[in-house]
Amino acid sequence: MPDPILEIDHLSHEFAGGSGIHDINFQVCAGEFILLAGPNGSGKTTLIRHLNALERPSSGGIRLYGRPVTANLMLTRKTIGMVFQDADTQIVGDTVAEEVAFGLENLNTPRAQIREKVNQTLARINLSHLKDRNPATLSGGEKRRLAIAGILVMDPEIIVLDEPFANLDYPASRHLVETICRLNRDGQTIIVATHDVEEVITLASRLLILDDQGRLVRDGCPAELLGCLDRFGIREPCFSRMGYTAPPWQT
Amino acid sequence: MADLTLFSFNAGTTALHDLDVRVKTGLVCMLSMTLFFAGFTACLICFLALYPLIRSQGATLLHLILRLKGFLLLLIIMAAARAVTVPGEPVFSILDVEITRQGLAQGTLVAARFFLVMVIGMLFAVTTRPADLKSAAQWFLAPVPFIPEKRVGFMISLFLRFFPLILAQAGQTADAVNARCGGFRKNPVRRIRFLTLPLLKKTVMAADHLSLAMTARCYTENRTDPAFEPGGKERIFLIAGAGLCLGMILVSRESFWMIFWSSAKFWVDPVSDLLYSLRLQ
Repeated sequence: MPDPILEIDHLSHEFAGGSGIHDINFQVCAGEFILLAGPNGSGKTTLIRHLNALERPSSGGIRLYGRPVTANLMLTRKTIGMVFQDADTQIVGDTVAEEVAFGLENLNTPRAQIREKVNQTLARINLSHLKDRNPATLSGGEKRRLAIAGILVMDPEIIVLDEPFANLDYPASRHLVETICRLNRDGQTIIVATHDVEEVITLASRLLILDDQGRLVRDGCPAELLGCLDRFGIREPCFSRMGYTAPPWQT
Repeated sequence: MADLTLFSFNAGTTALHDLDVRVKTGLVCMLSMTLFFAGFTACLICFLALYPLIRSQGATLLHLILRLKGFLLLLIIMAAARAVTVPGEPVFSILDVEITRQGLAQGTLVAARFFLVMVIGMLFAVTTRPADLKSAAQWFLAPVPFIPEKRVGFMISLFLRFFPLILAQAGQTADAVNARCGGFRKNPVRRIRFLTLPLLKKTVMAADHLSLAMTARCYTENRTDPAFEPGGKERIFLIAGAGLCLGMILVSRESFWMIFWSSAKFWVDPVSDLLYSLRLQ
């Protein structure tokens, strides 16, 4: 097994009232596609915010290449790219190209290099034709892909997506699945946090299940864990419930 | 022309679109200040000079008037107020209210100046991307001490980016309130409360999400500087703009010197009084 990029070690985050996440342990290796599933309020968003050092844990810690994520915040945030649930409040640029350039400008990258990398990234995500468009005029799926492009341009090792399929219609979801799948095929490590596993469960190499108490209750191969999803408040995919194989758009 | 909207950028490839935003800002300031002294002839010269630029954006005078009709109404009210308040030779009177020749002239002149300033502002807004505006603000503020120009520039761009979103959220909240008969409430305090509190909460939460998203993308004030891309006609526009301003000042030199001396008096008098009192001591 290769050395892990990220190690989550007895991580807990307590909120007033007892909610939060409790004693989470897992490791992330290069090239993995991890599906982090759990019902609403199970702490998925809290957990992934910790990966990016946007929150401070009550106990435990996270190590990136063996060093605490808080040791070098710039490196942590460059290595672990976060795509938030609400693309509208994440997009800051006036145009698609400017939005993608935002992260590189923060890294003080020379302007010529920014231009080149923005063009490359837009081509990779199939957004080149929308380069000069106002992000506010994009569809939900395009906005989500733009948010991914904004992260991808910074060359992260891991891309973490929080509920990427929320409020997307079928074609937009399908397009997004294809994008995520292509990135993973190119060697990108992906973590997707979602309460609805239908879209990506057959693509994931690993499934982590959080219960409603914020505990990591399962960590294993998705095919083996399909049957126990309902028990933890996560809807079992239709194809599995009805005894079919995965639908073609997921394979 | 149908696309020419007030204060919103329209993508294009005209000379004004290609002009460096810093030169454009400088020209807007120069022309606006010159209009402060301008008489009727100078206003006419300014309009004739601006008209080809208006046409280059696909607009005609009629379209311009239609687009600015609300503002024109305000100008008419302003001119009318001047016409009845400035003393002078009466032209006619209605219900003991005298309309004077001097009042009419002054009112029309002020309205013409405001109209031209509005047209210049509109041309600027229509041909300037908000991102360039941010860059220009950052560039102009850079030499000013104690002002974090990068932060100010970024705040401007965030405001321009999120103001329409906040307006859209306000519309959604109002719809949600009205859908549950909130619009029938007579008490204005309760009506405002049910609209503003949810909107404020949404806005604060959106700001929180935005701040997290920016932090996650390594936001820092020490960012790559904005790039300016001059279109190559900056010198021509600057010379033409300076010539136009000079010409306008020359044809309205009387009002120019009058305003110049009264401004000078405003600053010189207190200083000379102070010096005189110091000498007495």
